[in-house]
Amino acid sequence: MKRIPWILTCAAALLITGCNSKSTGGNANGKLTIGLLPKSKGNQYFVTCEKGARLAAADLGAELLFDGPTNTDPAKQNEIVENWISLGVDVIAAACENKDGISTALKKAQDAGIKVVTYDADAQTDARSFFVNQATAQGIGEQLMDTAAELTGGEGEFAIITATLTAANTNEWIKYIQERQAAKYPNMKLVEIKPSDDQKDKAQQETTNLISAYPNLKAVIAVCSPAVPGAAEAVKQAGKAGTIKVLGLGLPSENKAYVKEGVTQAVILWKVEDLGYLTVQVAAAAAQGKIQAGATEFDAGKLGKFEIKGDNVLLGKPFVFTKENIDQFDF
Amino acid sequence: MTQQTNKLKLSAILARHETVLLLVILLEIFIFQSSGRNFLASSNVSNIFRHSVEIGLLALVMTPVILTGGIDLSVGSMMGLCAVVFGILVKQYEMSPWLAAMLAISLGALGGMGNAFLITKMNLPPLIVTLGTFSLFRGLAEALTKGSEAYSGFPAGFLTIGNGNFLGLPVQLWIFFAVAILMWLLVHQTTWGRSLRAIGYASEGARYAGISVRFNTGMAYVIAGAIAGLAAVILVARLGEARANVGIGYELLAITAVVLGGTSIFGGAGSISGTLLGYIAVAILNNGLSRITAHQIFDQPIASVSRELSGILTGLLLLVALAAGVILKSLALRRARRQSLNVKPTTT
Repeated sequence: MKRIPWILTCAAALLITGCNSKSTGGNANGKLTIGLLPKSKGNQYFVTCEKGARLAAADLGAELLFDGPTNTDPAKQNEIVENWISLGVDVIAAACENKDGISTALKKAQDAGIKVVTYDADAQTDARSFFVNQATAQGIGEQLMDTAAELTGGEGEFAIITATLTAANTNEWIKYIQERQAAKYPNMKLVEIKPSDDQKDKAQQETTNLISAYPNLKAVIAVCSPAVPGAAEAVKQAGKAGTIKVLGLGLPSENKAYVKEGVTQAVILWKVEDLGYLTVQVAAAAAQGKIQAGATEFDAGKLGKFEIKGDNVLLGKPFVFTKENIDQFDF
Repeated sequence: MTQQTNKLKLSAILARHETVLLLVILLEIFIFQSSGRNFLASSNVSNIFRHSVEIGLLALVMTPVILTGGIDLSVGSMMGLCAVVFGILVKQYEMSPWLAAMLAISLGALGGMGNAFLITKMNLPPLIVTLGTFSLFRGLAEALTKGSEAYSGFPAGFLTIGNGNFLGLPVQLWIFFAVAILMWLLVHQTTWGRSLRAIGYASEGARYAGISVRFNTGMAYVIAGAIAGLAAVILVARLGEARANVGIGYELLAITAVVLGGTSIFGGAGSISGTLLGYIAVAILNNGLSRITAHQIFDQPIASVSRELSGILTGLLLLVALAAGVILKSLALRRARRQSLNVKPTTT
């Protein structure tokens, strides 16, 4: 029985202090406060995003909070957003791990008068005002085809290594690769599309088969990230480095060795640092009412102007990483 | 005579342990209020509990389990399984969320019964049994959703359990209060509660004293399972989404709160009020740290390190509290021995 007073004292102390003090709202120094939420905090991709975001925050004189889950607990992103709400941030920019789960918290932020934008991975469309879209399917597909044509002189046979034949996103990219080829590069011919099940080994094996089946093969396009080093390894082992060009969509860091050896000619991805920079610029503009629904162009300071399509701010054409520039990037 | 003085001393230590915890909590509040922004704002005080109530619930029901000298590692996985089943019932079978919640809680109780059966009837060690069901329940949850499927779009009325307020406090905090009072009554005011301590202290002795060791121990696991189901429903209401990986690692946080609250991991001694304080100390620490960004400490804009710090500090808090407990206990025992030595010559 004598233990009850302790519970009561404790609960009372917390509740009384809690109810007596009021939220002071915003922050003392009057700076714009931006909360940048990554899918996960330790991931090199998001660390690179943060780097760009810090630059933008410095350019804008804004305060940037960068926090994200360090484990796989799906409740963590929501908790961070809810803490930011009570912290009184002005705007939240989120890369969403669980689209529906995080939207609950983002809508709460909107109800509290906080502007919300998303980047990298979108939320439900009514839970944010703008999505900073790092790459459209069309942009990716066309860039892959253009680079392949550039590397082969616009002539000859090429093959595609994909994730699975049913994956929606890779199929969409392949569709744009084919359309671009038909429209601009009539002397090139797609001989086969092979699945790699998102595995490097399988990609290597399929590429080896392709090399023996098509002696005139000029290029291999890998449209999922494990397939790029996989295809490169196969070409290298076949002794065809340089004869058969390898290019694909992947992280520069995973392909650096092959690029430097001259096996892989081009890795295609967006500049992740720029994604962070643009996201913070869009977030700040949203908070200050400088970007409105219906706008078609956005001025992101030192990065220049970006196109807005609907409520998507487009980062633009993907970036091509080559032997010459790959050392400048560490993600 | 010495038995009685010893007992008095022990309860004094228990009280002191709770005093120490209370001081730790006040210290945390003071530090976070002076360094973090809006820490004591009512919206944040709500957040502290909203974000941790599930762990608090698990800690409450973990207390009787640990009192018997057992452990239940499966409650976090049980949350995942109950959440998924709840999601399937509501979204695929279009069941009312309230009925589905009842079924999820029953499923939790059923899983707890499974644990209880293996532990009390088959005489398997609780650590091994619940390590097995820890994998089993999570595996079932993942299998039911094929690892990736999630259920969302629950009715707004149901979501208020996780996001709404009642009389100025989060709805789920009232549920927590109700469970806390219930557990306090069960553990401290019933013969069942007393028997748990006896079982934890000496299970053979308890059996000879006529206590139904199997039934009483088993009940602790059944209650733990049922409340894990309840915690799952609350978490789903808060997230607005049910998926297989909810509640990952929660069992360990709950055990941390219980042990921090002064309950002996060997069983036999402990209290619900201690668990409450242990839980509050951990909850405040995690919330407060997430509000301090590193630039407030280092005065330069670098990444906030707080979330990483929270693991370190929770660990340190637990270890220091345990070490302090051992030191206090040995000091008290020494004093008791000295006193009994002093007392003897005068009484004889």
